[in-house]
Amino acid sequence: MADLNNVIHQPVRLQIMSSLVALDLDEQVDFTYLRKLLKLTDGNLGAHLLKLETAGYIKMEKTFVARKPRTFVTVTGKGRDAFNDHLTALKKIIKPTKRR
Amino acid sequence: MNISHEDAQQSLAAVEQATAQVGKSIAALSAGSILILWGLIWILSFLVAQFFLAWVWYWMVLGAIGTAGTILICRKQSRTGIPVKSAASKKIGWKYFWSWTALFVYATIWLFILEPRNSIQSNAFFCTIAMFAYVIMGLWDTSRFLLWLGLGVTVCVLIGYYLVPHQYYCLWMAPTGGGALLVTGIYQRWRWR
Repeated sequence: MADLNNVIHQPVRLQIMSSLVALDLDEQVDFTYLRKLLKLTDGNLGAHLLKLETAGYIKMEKTFVARKPRTFVTVTGKGRDAFNDHLTALKKIIKPTKRR
Repeated sequence: MNISHEDAQQSLAAVEQATAQVGKSIAALSAGSILILWGLIWILSFLVAQFFLAWVWYWMVLGAIGTAGTILICRKQSRTGIPVKSAASKKIGWKYFWSWTALFVYATIWLFILEPRNSIQSNAFFCTIAMFAYVIMGLWDTSRFLLWLGLGVTVCVLIGYYLVPHQYYCLWMAPTGGGALLVTGIYQRWRWR
């Protein structure tokens, strides 16, 4: 049975992961866009992303678009699996499996 | 780690909300401006048809302006850097362009084969073809808004064609068909961003 994930369960990180998992498999999202979408500060988002990156759930890639530095964030396969396991665990708390 | 039933419910609700927000936000970024442009073109075209000119030529001119405008919007978005990128997104952009081009080339061929009786029939044909494409795109897209918009405008076209007297068809289609595209585009840009 999947267990709740301590790293993902924190509310901000849960929002971040939900947003990233909603994207298609090869899609990356801009840091600034994510910050505006989730209504967070630079520092707050950066700290949570770092925690998720350390756990191997996301990848950050720095690049240049129109000569301006941009950071793109994407969820890893491990992150997707961990998020899905976490969702399964949450659903099981709401609807526990009946025992015979 | 243990949490209560209520906490689990709240977490799942937060996940659903965040997922929906992303889908809507991306849809607003990519389609909002294009819908506003085409909404204005539809309104202008139907009003011109109602009050001034014969059908065919200005639709072609305004259609060409709309296509050029759509390409410009897409190019601007890719230059300034859209916030969501993927290796496939550039290819998909061109696939959308060629799919729409193919659809209208084929629609024109069908129009010649079917030989509609009047200009209103031709117009209803092209409008429903465009909305058919919206419905298909909506079925493939995560946010589904194009599906509902396509179905809504199709209903407007059918009401206009079957129930509204033909001399008022354009007057009906300008605010309903064009208006629906315009209002959806504006709504997306203001509320979903």
